[in-house]
Amino acid sequence: MTARQKLGWVIASVAFLLVGVPLLISATGRTDLYYTLTTVALLSIISGGVWLTFYIGRINIGQGAFALIGGYVSAILVTQYGVSFWLTLPLAGLFCAVVSIVIGLPILRLRGVYFAMVTLTMTEVARLSAFALPITNGAKGIVNIPLPGAVTLFGVTIIPDFATLTNPRLAFYITSVVMMVVCFAFLYRLVHSRVGKICQSLQQNEELASSIGVNITYMRILAFAVSSFLGGIGGAMFAAIAQSMYPSSFGVQDSVNFMLNCFLGGLGYVLGPMLGTFVLYFGWDLLFKTGDFQLLIYSSILIVLMLVLPNGLLSIRLPVQKRASL
Amino acid sequence: MGMPTIRVALCAALAGLAFAAGPLSAQAQEKELKIGFVGVTSGPAAAWGISNVRSMQTRADWLNEKGGVKIGDTTYKITIVTFDDQKDPRRAIAGMEKMAQEGIRYVVGPNVDDGAAAVRPVAESKGIIYIPYSFPKELYTPPASNAILGMVASYQSAPAIYKYLKENKGVKTVAFVAANESDPLSQRDAGVAAAKALGLEVVAQNDTYQNDTRDFTPVLTPIVKLRPDLLVLSGVSPGNAPLLIRAARELGYQGIISTETAHDAKVLQEGAGDLANGFISVGGASTPEIRTPEMEEFIERYIKKYGEYNDESNTKVYALEYILETLKANPKAIDDVEEFKKTIDTFSAPNPFVKDGTLKYVGMTSFGQKRQLSVPMVVVEYWNGEFRTLFVGEVD
Amino acid sequence: MEQVIINGLYLGAQYALIALGLTLIFALMNVLNFAHGQMYVLGGFITYVIYGQLGLPFPLAVICSGLTLAAVGSVIERFLFAPVIKRSAREESTMLLAAAVAFFLDAIILLLFGEKQRGVPKIINGVFVSDSIVMPYDRIVVGVVAMAMIVAFMLYMQYSKPGRAMRALAQDRTAAQLMGVNVDRYSTIGFALGAMLAGLVGGLLVSITGVNSGIGGSISIKAFLMVMIGGAGVVGGAIAGGFILGMMESVGLTLLRNFGDVTYLVIFALLMIFLSIRPHGLMGKPWG
Repeated sequence: MTARQKLGWVIASVAFLLVGVPLLISATGRTDLYYTLTTVALLSIISGGVWLTFYIGRINIGQGAFALIGGYVSAILVTQYGVSFWLTLPLAGLFCAVVSIVIGLPILRLRGVYFAMVTLTMTEVARLSAFALPITNGAKGIVNIPLPGAVTLFGVTIIPDFATLTNPRLAFYITSVVMMVVCFAFLYRLVHSRVGKICQSLQQNEELASSIGVNITYMRILAFAVSSFLGGIGGAMFAAIAQSMYPSSFGVQDSVNFMLNCFLGGLGYVLGPMLGTFVLYFGWDLLFKTGDFQLLIYSSILIVLMLVLPNGLLSIRLPVQKRASL
Repeated sequence: MGMPTIRVALCAALAGLAFAAGPLSAQAQEKELKIGFVGVTSGPAAAWGISNVRSMQTRADWLNEKGGVKIGDTTYKITIVTFDDQKDPRRAIAGMEKMAQEGIRYVVGPNVDDGAAAVRPVAESKGIIYIPYSFPKELYTPPASNAILGMVASYQSAPAIYKYLKENKGVKTVAFVAANESDPLSQRDAGVAAAKALGLEVVAQNDTYQNDTRDFTPVLTPIVKLRPDLLVLSGVSPGNAPLLIRAARELGYQGIISTETAHDAKVLQEGAGDLANGFISVGGASTPEIRTPEMEEFIERYIKKYGEYNDESNTKVYALEYILETLKANPKAIDDVEEFKKTIDTFSAPNPFVKDGTLKYVGMTSFGQKRQLSVPMVVVEYWNGEFRTLFVGEVD
Repeated sequence: MEQVIINGLYLGAQYALIALGLTLIFALMNVLNFAHGQMYVLGGFITYVIYGQLGLPFPLAVICSGLTLAAVGSVIERFLFAPVIKRSAREESTMLLAAAVAFFLDAIILLLFGEKQRGVPKIINGVFVSDSIVMPYDRIVVGVVAMAMIVAFMLYMQYSKPGRAMRALAQDRTAAQLMGVNVDRYSTIGFALGAMLAGLVGGLLVSITGVNSGIGGSISIKAFLMVMIGGAGVVGGAIAGGFILGMMESVGLTLLRNFGDVTYLVIFALLMIFLSIRPHGLMGKPWG
């Protein structure tokens, strides 16, 4: 497939998400899907970060910590200092990136299950810190966070005040989808750049990469910081949607889920985390009518998926296509 | 056919499924009134939501068996629509959106603080009244107006319990222990404030445990050494209560143990046996002395349907009853929550579950508006496998 | 202080036993078994039914728990993990399978045994009281049995034929295969043994702490922590990790209680620092 064809597909998909989906929703009246799809978009951004750490060969079960930190940074700046939400969004990401650099320097030397465990512990440390630090309002959480305000540039309103919109859900949906597209376009570029190739070499053999002159420490920190940035902005968006932030807003369970999203989609594909999140999150929602048996059916489907496609959903290959790619 | 084609096809198929598999329920032959539940029915906190769902389901089946509920001129069959939020605030929002999609106006749940706070924007924008089992005052004080507290809050029962114990049992010193999670810690802080206001000496208030702790001896060892007259297990979950009681007693603790949450007698008996005797907790229609025959029948039906009763349902039986009775009082509220809110201020009906009880909305003192179900505050004492009434209080 | 140390030792013994099964499975197959805690819970419920409900002797119930879980474990290994490991490009993919199995067991347990906390009658009544130590007799018995099981397991791994084969497998899978060890067979045996340990300890601890359908996940995570402290896949490491975590909790909860709600924050932060300094735990090998 040529680059031009690829671009065509991307534009078509984005157009579908931004125009087609809202039209479909208004046609079917399923307005609850706005929130569900917004959640999927944001969770895929956060999972995209986890995926990047997988790309350098690290199992990251600590993304919940960064989503939590990001959420708190945004919530505190908005409620206590009156900063515009749109400014807190990048700030939340940057703060998480800085934290991840400080923590990453010592822990990125760890590998395999050790890194996995230390990041899992980090999630719990973040939760308990949220209780203990005075600025987070402890167990009572931060509630009544206002909706994102307007952004005007030279008198022109670029983003309207969400509180004045008749359907803030649609606004959140559009924002999240745009963020998701930008984020995955960036990941795609990153992975297909020289840096991406180096990252891949880290995944396979760090010693070898190091011996041919790659500054592996720098590369690892870079990937981890980008990953945490994505976790941070995702968490900040959720704080704005729920208009509340609690120490339990993101926990160990979420960290594990972000990782599972990547596995399910396929670790070898940039779009893996997106598809994985979609299937895992939507799957649960679709099964909500099954009542008591929801978890049983859900887990059985997961097991079967793993047995059929152990390398993720995107590893699916049809016979026709095999010939085509030869 | 290249890879993206397959991916797009896959996504399209899934998306199609998502749209198709929606509610879009078939036209009901008879009028159906859907009441929602959004809360946790799986995972470590499953017990909370399950006792909720089962109470609602049992009561709904019973009412339907009697021919349905007559609201205005129409008779409705009650359908309970449940959504498991897995104790995840984001799922809770999704659940609330689903309820709105199903055209549901009245929802019971969520069970925890973060979930209850997270669903507030949805409930308010979509016009849903919800009945959470979480205590933060922000949810119920103006400008918030769509949440109605479903039980007695710890900051309401704690002062009453401590006062009773101070006057009748000579309690002078109190120790608190809580799980390091939002709900228990908030309840502990409320308890500490109440105890101090009564002039009790708080000897320990910083001791916390992880909610997944299975062995409580280490956390209780230093507290028991202080020999407090009263040990408060703030916001303790039904599963942890017997373990804490047993550990404290086996370490030689002699004083009184109490909590402000609801508990199950069978769980206490199995988990702590005689050691749980004297344990003080708060229930709804918990003791045989105050139950009406209707409550007895409710319990029988519950057991018949699910095999075993859960004493937490003594509190959780109320939410559905309040919704239906208020709708009966003002049929216009059936799809207009503003009408419901108007009725709240004047509503009053006999309480079917407790002798000489009244169903009414309260909360003026705590919230400045009536946003709480008046559930009798029955303070009970566990004794040999059952609860005994210690005293009955009331919230205003 | 004696009381604090005794508490820590008792806690450590039960933690170590939980961690042993997990580390065994990890050593043999490089699978981080997320379902370990659920296996523990299942074992607990089996003992609850046999001893608590049917009234049969407690030791019998615990043995039944162990045997059932061994069967469950071998089925899971043979039909789920083995095929997935063979076909997956990156072995971490088994983590998703393990998590799915954990969800599945959670669902089954909730449907079969309900949402309530369950407990059984005490196996021995009474409390041992001296000047400085208070310890219920049933805890003493369980603590001693746990230690005995740990010793028995170590002897089995050291001297029995399957034990030696499994150790060879853990050291170098390919070399073991070349030396004529039936890799598939011993993987299954190892997984079954790990699951059996989870079931045994679950059954044993029902007599003290009861069992609850929702606790599986957190038990797995605690077990991971212990395994990492000691070093993944090393039997001695799991035991050391269990005792260290038990001691840290016991001592930490006493020493740090005056500083507010920070005990567990400090414990977890210390763990992170410790692992940063010793990236392979106390005695682990640098496996990728």
